[in-house]
Amino acid sequence: MDAERGLMRKVARGDQAAFTDLAQRYGGRLLAVAGRLLGSRADAEDAVQRALLQCFAGASAYDSRWAVSTWLYRILTNVCVDELRRRATRTAYDARSTPEALEAVSGNHRPPDAYLDLHRALGRVPREARVLLALRYVDGLSYGELARIRGISINTVKSQLARGKALLREELGKRGAGHE
Amino acid sequence: MNDVVNGAQEQGAKQDKLDRLLADYFRPGAESAGLALKVAAVVRTDRELERLESRLVLEATPRGISLVRTGKTARSATATARKLTEQAREEIHEYLRGQRSFFHVPLDLSEVPDFQRRVLEAARLIPFGEGRPYAWIAERTGHPRAVRAVGTALGRNPVPLLLPCHRVWRSDGGLGEYIFGARVKDRLTALERITPVLEGCTSTRIVCRVGCIHGRHMRPDNRVVFASVTDARSVGYRPCKVCRPAA
Repeated sequence: MDAERGLMRKVARGDQAAFTDLAQRYGGRLLAVAGRLLGSRADAEDAVQRALLQCFAGASAYDSRWAVSTWLYRILTNVCVDELRRRATRTAYDARSTPEALEAVSGNHRPPDAYLDLHRALGRVPREARVLLALRYVDGLSYGELARIRGISINTVKSQLARGKALLREELGKRGAGHE
Repeated sequence: MNDVVNGAQEQGAKQDKLDRLLADYFRPGAESAGLALKVAAVVRTDRELERLESRLVLEATPRGISLVRTGKTARSATATARKLTEQAREEIHEYLRGQRSFFHVPLDLSEVPDFQRRVLEAARLIPFGEGRPYAWIAERTGHPRAVRAVGTALGRNPVPLLLPCHRVWRSDGGLGEYIFGARVKDRLTALERITPVLEGCTSTRIVCRVGCIHGRHMRPDNRVVFASVTDARSVGYRPCKVCRPAA
């Protein structure tokens, strides 16, 4: 924990090697969150790059009361949520984008078939709850960390997660039992 | 494995199954190699937009900003008009730094001919960070085939930047021409792609449009981006009464 805070201090001084180290430590987990939120591998990489760049540029604003991972996830989810907004308005404008077209877009981050139902069911979960689920399950973040990352109360985190999971259970149940 | 979930099973067992499924689904892959290096390579030293800003000249009437151009010297104006140009400069400054997603300063298009004004009003409807083809504008002005005339009208936009003619692109995906040059259009498009539109303050639980006066003094670690006002409301934020982000 403290080692990582030291790493952030080095990054704040413009230390490129420390930055590379940080990016390597967190790159995989950040990519997993972004990939699951954005669907496409290319968009996920783009989001992680932007988040890391913002982290590098804004490292001097880093407050050591924050865990480095929480700080990074805050920056990354801010980037991803904005990308989701852009996508929503773009889809509304572009009448040609059918569900099939959207599936094709996310094709390069295609989930294995076993997760296809879950992937679709997640699409029915409201955005904020989906973001929380991704953070919760990629890195096992605590309710407190989730609250900090999204700027909400712990009670809201709990109710959002519960609601998201209830919706998932309902959707998965609806799709019928018996798939592999 | 068989995923049959029958009603007789305990709630706890169901939860465990969903938890396991979610954990497997979200498991990170081991594919981050090289990412850090790529990121380091992207750090840019592009000064295109700063150069543009330093050359901007603005004119205003008491009703609003009437001209944004480069290089010329501005006409002397009334005190009200000077105040407006100052405000516009400030807003453009923030916009070009990714700290503003809307303009508040009024525009004065009263000298603009009717067809051109309709073209400009249509361009004004394009949301921040997005683009529409010239034909989209033509349709909205009631002359769907007047695509070329639309291009000309946009090219003579008296108040570029403030009125987003840079959000009108060619239908083949190319960005097309721009009053300040294609390179600037390219930079503006990239800039709007990375500037968020809605941000909430974690200490006040208020969601604002980026650039609202309330957001100006927000600490960086208090900023949370939202995709919509509905999303923000769903987790306990309320929209700002000054910038009115619901609109």
